[in-house]
Amino acid sequence: MRNRLACGVAAVLTATVTSACGGGTAAAPGTPGGADATGPPGYLALADGKLPAGGALTFAVHIDSGAATGLDPQLADVATSWQLMSLVYETLVTVGPDFAPKPALAESWETPDPKTYVFHLRKGVAFSNGREMTADDVVGSLKRLLAAKSVWRGQLGPVEKVAKVDAGTVKVTLARPYTPFLAALANVPAAVLPMKEIAAGSLDPAKEMLGTGPFKVQDHRQDVSWSFVRNEHYWDKGKPAADSLSVTIAPEEAARVAAVQNGSAALASLGNVDSAAMLAGAADVKVATQATTDFYYLMLNSRNPKFADPRVRQAVNMALDRKQIAEVALGGQGRPTGVTPAGLPGACDPAALPSATGGGAAKAKELLAQAGAAGLSFTLTIYATEPAPAVAQVIQQNLQQAGVTVRIEQMDEASWAGKVYGKAPAPFDSALSWFAGYADPGMVTTWWNPDVAGFNQGFMRADKDLNALIARAGETPAGPERDKALAEVCAKVDTDSQMVPLVTRPATIAYRADAVSPSLYATEGYGNLLRLVADARVKRG
Amino acid sequence: MRLLLWWAGRALSSAVTLLGISVLIFAALRLMPGGFAETILGPFATPEQKAELAARYGLDQSVLAQYGHWLAAVGTGDFGTSMISRQPVAAELAARLPVTARLTLLAVAAAVLAGVPLGVVTAVRARPGGGGGAGRLLSGLGVSVPEFALGSLVVFVVSRYGLQTTGYLLPAAVLSIFAISATARTTRDAVLGVLVEQHITAAVARGETPWFIVRHHILRNAAGPVLTLTATITAYLLGGALIVEYLFNLPGVGSYVVQAVGRRDYAVVQAGVLLAAAVFIVMNVLVDLLVGLVDPRLGRRA
Repeated sequence: MRNRLACGVAAVLTATVTSACGGGTAAAPGTPGGADATGPPGYLALADGKLPAGGALTFAVHIDSGAATGLDPQLADVATSWQLMSLVYETLVTVGPDFAPKPALAESWETPDPKTYVFHLRKGVAFSNGREMTADDVVGSLKRLLAAKSVWRGQLGPVEKVAKVDAGTVKVTLARPYTPFLAALANVPAAVLPMKEIAAGSLDPAKEMLGTGPFKVQDHRQDVSWSFVRNEHYWDKGKPAADSLSVTIAPEEAARVAAVQNGSAALASLGNVDSAAMLAGAADVKVATQATTDFYYLMLNSRNPKFADPRVRQAVNMALDRKQIAEVALGGQGRPTGVTPAGLPGACDPAALPSATGGGAAKAKELLAQAGAAGLSFTLTIYATEPAPAVAQVIQQNLQQAGVTVRIEQMDEASWAGKVYGKAPAPFDSALSWFAGYADPGMVTTWWNPDVAGFNQGFMRADKDLNALIARAGETPAGPERDKALAEVCAKVDTDSQMVPLVTRPATIAYRADAVSPSLYATEGYGNLLRLVADARVKRG
Repeated sequence: MRLLLWWAGRALSSAVTLLGISVLIFAALRLMPGGFAETILGPFATPEQKAELAARYGLDQSVLAQYGHWLAAVGTGDFGTSMISRQPVAAELAARLPVTARLTLLAVAAAVLAGVPLGVVTAVRARPGGGGGAGRLLSGLGVSVPEFALGSLVVFVVSRYGLQTTGYLLPAAVLSIFAISATARTTRDAVLGVLVEQHITAAVARGETPWFIVRHHILRNAAGPVLTLTATITAYLLGGALIVEYLFNLPGVGSYVVQAVGRRDYAVVQAGVLLAAAVFIVMNVLVDLLVGLVDPRLGRRA
């Protein structure tokens, strides 16, 4: 499990629920915070730099990176894979706690015009085999990604040309301006690979990971464990603070709760909103809830006669109480959202959307009557992983208020994926899933264009106006103009109601305060709980 | 000669059973909703990627051809490759079998060492006020408590006190509760069945001591059902103790196969099910042999 669509969808598929492609945003007021966590603005926790470096870190996670595409970061489309790969691979830029792009393998960059990006590479960067990273590695990696059948190729935007300017400079030219470019460049699939070794055939990136990141792989047993040790050639001297990181794959939540209770894991990812309550009172255990830009959405199959009339879809959308979904199904840790993930700078206000101001269940009943669909009854197809069943139950109750009968059909993830994505037209009425929200409010909106997304052509009809709005928001430079363009996308998606955004999806991490002092962003865009693990200090003795 | 024929028949029927199971699992996997491509590659996969994956694992051929190739490979000990790990299934099963075998051995040992004496005692003391009622109640509880409930409780409470849940003792203990209780109940019923027979009355009349009677006249006669149950529990556990493996995070056979079902990782599921079936068949043959040795009357009937 899952859980990835671009990540969201994929996440579902692969396994587990908690792993999707994440998206994140800076902590905004009202962002759910961890029960016990404390940290400066933008952070849930900040590692205590006064603690001595060294020591071994242990982390328990619910799912391994497991896909037919192997360990190739360019083809990875789920956040759980990105999380593990980010220990080894690095990108030209990364994201800060406020989602602003930050230097990583590129020390600085310029944008002489909105279509040109010039990256000045950091000096003294080496792969973990000791070979120095060159501009050829950077150019080669980006070209390989552009040629790959990768989900991320679509997010990278209209890249026209990638060229080496000199040994320390790389220039990327876009066909037209694309505001999310740096945000897309900050995710693992855009990592710099050791192209010399790949070209020579001495490295198969699907089978082996070799990067410039803080750790290197010592051992991996699929679905059991990973063992990472410090990369002695890491450019950021003093990092990673820990000598090693052991990752245990524990699919059962109870096993991860146990691991953090008895200290066999210093950190553990949790998937169930009730786990924090289970851990309350456990000695030295802290539970932190990280907001993410990931969000749940409801698919109303417009290629199914029941939902062919937009008024019927709008009525369903209008009858939904997103606040209640966040409160009841997600323990108050989620937030209502439009298609631009709540919490990202520039995201639209979900309370201002037509469905939120339209008149609720009473108006929904009227709309249904007008559309000749009074007494509507349909099936909602979900996978069994929590909290999807809880979300579905709240939807069922919401719609009952509007006189709509919902039958919930629960399946294992593989069967669910087969039913939702397997055929066109898709043989379902409605379905529930989640998307990763990424690090720019325009990125995930791409999936509302079925011609680009592909996976939803079986249940979604393309809308030319919406596609144009999405493209415009992508091209408009950040600022009030773009916020306005994004708000228009939000409103159009809301009215269209084919894929209906619901609430954001929180991530929970538990850690032993007596064993580790971690750094954690308050909000995460790419589902990476280990983003700052190189800073984490091990407490010993 | 008769014995040889009997063995030949037995081997043939085992082979036919295994073959039947292999057909069933092969067909069932392919009839399951949700194809491997959507599951393993995710919804973003292009048709070309799906085709490439299918070609790599021979899944673009007819189901009959796939089955033929697979069967031929299995005949040479090649169980195929996992689509997820890209590793040979046989190697992973070989790595996980010792975990499952250790768990099974510990749980079955506990079942025999504790369950059989408990069963005998509750049977001998079956008269009102003899204490047999308490034993029945306990064993009744033991077979009724769901493994996941008991296991979750043990994992949570033990870890809350900072104690480790790694190792095999705790998970084996959780598994053995059912095994001990079931063995005790079966032993009790078998012993009670023997107790009413005339040769026991004769032994009592001869003035033999109760424990002499149990050892010499009861245990061998009651052994049949107990051995059969023990073999069944052993075979069942060797197929993988899924819930306990998950709760205690042990990399055994059960979690490997079930995870593979969820991902439609065909080769792994086929190998796992075939292995579990083979273990059942072998255990059955062994127990028939053993029962025949312990109680020659039953052996002749077989």
